[in-house]
Amino acid sequence: MADRKKMSVAEILAAARAQKAGGDGAGNAPETAAAEPAAPVEVEATTASTPPAEPKPAAKPAVGKGGGRPSVADIMKMARQKSSGEATAAEKPAAAAAPKPAAAAAPKPAAAKPAAGKAAEKPAAPTMAALPRDTASILAAARGAKPGPTSKADAPASAKPQAKPTAKAKPAARPVPPKPTRPVVAKKAAATDDRRGFLSIAMGSFMAVGFTALSVTGGLFSLGLARFLFPNVLAEPPSRFKVGFKEAFPAGKVETKYVAQYGVWVVNSEVQGEEQIYALKTVCTHLGCTPNWLEAEQKFKCPCHGSGFYKDGVNFEGPAPRPLERYAIQISDDGQLEVDKSRTFQEELGQWSDPASYVTA
Amino acid sequence: MHSNELFLKDVSGFLGGYYAAIAVMNGIAALILWQRKNQPGWAIVWTAFASVMMVLGSLALSGVEGTVPALPQALRDLVNTLSGPVNYTVGTTVLLVAFFVYRTFFVQPMVAWTLFNVALLLMGLSMADQNFALIVMKADNVPIVGLVFLLAFFTWVATKQAVVNDERIARGEPPMEKVNDEKVLVWPDLVYTELICMIAVAAFLLAWAILLPAPLEEPASSVKTPNPSKAPWYFLGLQEMLVYFDPWYAGVVLPSLVIFGLMALPYLDFNKKGNGYYSIAERKFAYLTWQFGFLELWITLIILGTFLRGPNWNFFGPFEYWTPYKVEVLNNVSLTQVFWTRFLDQPIPVAAAGSSVLTQISTVLLREGPGLLLVGGYLVLLPPLMAVTIFRRYYAKMGFIRYMVMANLMLLMLSLPLKMVLRWTMNLSYIVSIPELSLNF
Repeated sequence: MADRKKMSVAEILAAARAQKAGGDGAGNAPETAAAEPAAPVEVEATTASTPPAEPKPAAKPAVGKGGGRPSVADIMKMARQKSSGEATAAEKPAAAAAPKPAAAAAPKPAAAKPAAGKAAEKPAAPTMAALPRDTASILAAARGAKPGPTSKADAPASAKPQAKPTAKAKPAARPVPPKPTRPVVAKKAAATDDRRGFLSIAMGSFMAVGFTALSVTGGLFSLGLARFLFPNVLAEPPSRFKVGFKEAFPAGKVETKYVAQYGVWVVNSEVQGEEQIYALKTVCTHLGCTPNWLEAEQKFKCPCHGSGFYKDGVNFEGPAPRPLERYAIQISDDGQLEVDKSRTFQEELGQWSDPASYVTA
Repeated sequence: MHSNELFLKDVSGFLGGYYAAIAVMNGIAALILWQRKNQPGWAIVWTAFASVMMVLGSLALSGVEGTVPALPQALRDLVNTLSGPVNYTVGTTVLLVAFFVYRTFFVQPMVAWTLFNVALLLMGLSMADQNFALIVMKADNVPIVGLVFLLAFFTWVATKQAVVNDERIARGEPPMEKVNDEKVLVWPDLVYTELICMIAVAAFLLAWAILLPAPLEEPASSVKTPNPSKAPWYFLGLQEMLVYFDPWYAGVVLPSLVIFGLMALPYLDFNKKGNGYYSIAERKFAYLTWQFGFLELWITLIILGTFLRGPNWNFFGPFEYWTPYKVEVLNNVSLTQVFWTRFLDQPIPVAAAGSSVLTQISTVLLREGPGLLLVGGYLVLLPPLMAVTIFRRYYAKMGFIRYMVMANLMLLMLSLPLKMVLRWTMNLSYIVSIPELSLNF
């Protein structure tokens, strides 16, 4: 069959071990133990009723398996045997080995499947064309003429024939781990409990140290971050600044030279019959873009959504919902006009009548 | 802005390649049609078209004014004078409606191919116009041109599949998707396709980044706004919406409602037909609502914002120079002003300075009374009214809550085109305008 060509890792290992063990006098005991997992577990369970030769498997892993690659369990076992050559130690490995084949058996059929599937693909191809092409049937066709295992339960059954060739050993002299060794396994758990206990204490303290360090670092980091909110140097222009004497703003003029630095237009215009000088904030009341003063059209026009404002700051076109805001303006001690950006005046709240919002020209 | 001659010299190389590419494309199409043997007439047509394109390409390569194929100046001026927000919106709406009504005609491959070629030819001819080329060939805008064609193509493909399915369903056959429902495996079929797409897109992005470098602008400044100032292309629909509304509504409420509405769609759509296959006839309402919201209220607004909105957010024709000094006379008034000043010929009610809060509130309510009534009526009265009239069947099928959600989402979606129309016809800025609370609608 297919696995003549393609052997899974487990099968290769089993074959290698069988060859190695064949050199030993003790023969096929480990080989069957390793190779048999390929065979169905249920079968093994039924044959297990035959009385096992107890000492054999016990001696085997310790000596015979040394030829192959010893598993961690084997090494541990050998170490324990050296330290305390007790009689129970002989039984233990057998018990330890018992669950192993069962565990190894599960991945086995899965590994064997693709190999079988690939080989079966070719003959199945012509029939596939005629079949309805849904995923399940394609997969079934790829697995072979007969529908493949659809659940884990019948997986070992289908894997059985493929595993046979590698398991050349006679199933008659199969050493099967004895049942009574179970309590010993349970006793072993006590030993691991101690180790776990130690680990939990060690890990617990590590965790404690780690989380303490983490929270301390996090706290310090947050403090450092908060420090950044209060910079040493504040690169903001002063909120009060002088813009020159009244005479610099003749009637009808919109001074735009302070826009770039201060964001303010100083305007001299007639508002409700009175000639006023006022400072308009260069922020559109719609979404905060900076409008441009269009001298030819005598209006402020916003480039973002097309809002327009008259010279006095009142909105008249586009989506801006309210007039531009004014900054506070006054005549300072030296006679120059002084704009104070810390105070704003909104027309819709009736604040433009506040004398601080303008200077009479 | 250099002279037209210099510009034509610059653009001639591109135009030559452009026309040659159209010629090659049509040549290949003609070859395929010829080999299929069922439409030899069309094969000859496209061969002839390809040779015309070759001639245009060689003319364009000359780079001399008068020889480079271009639209006549008179036609360009006519297009410029005719274009405006109203005509643009009405025009696109008419076009989309025509595409919908005559969809069985437009989904024919040869009709679509003809339209595609006409669009490419018109674009080539327009590209010889300096103002047009300046906007369309901007590094930012080139991908948007591509996206417009891509969107048109995908819309066409989907419509074609829907039309085919509708015809099959009318004949009593199952839709194409049910006949040809071959399933493919994720691995390798899908994953390989994705891998190939990934590599192709990466290569495309690489070429794009090299050929069309991202335009660098001047350092940002809070007091200097570029003119025009444009949102990223995918938000240009939002920016256009903001022209008609207060930021809280067009910038917060409407976008949230778009997302909320999209999430609500599966719960509102009770029509079980059209599940897993394209169909228009079986779900006309859902199809039309969606296409209206997506194509009309999102895509056309993106195109409008990208190509037709210039400095100061003024509307510019496709062949118009984007001058920041374009004068557009606009004087928007709120409904308050219209109602009190024009209709009743009375001064707008204003609370006396220093009056109590209660007086101020009642004055505002009185002042905005008509607007509040209008908005309230629109959102409160219309849903039940629609439930007993046009949506009677839907109301019965959907139940109260689902119907109410649907009706309100629908009305809020329609508030955008309604407001646009009101702006254009009545110069209306706001229906409800309470700047004291920054509440405008």
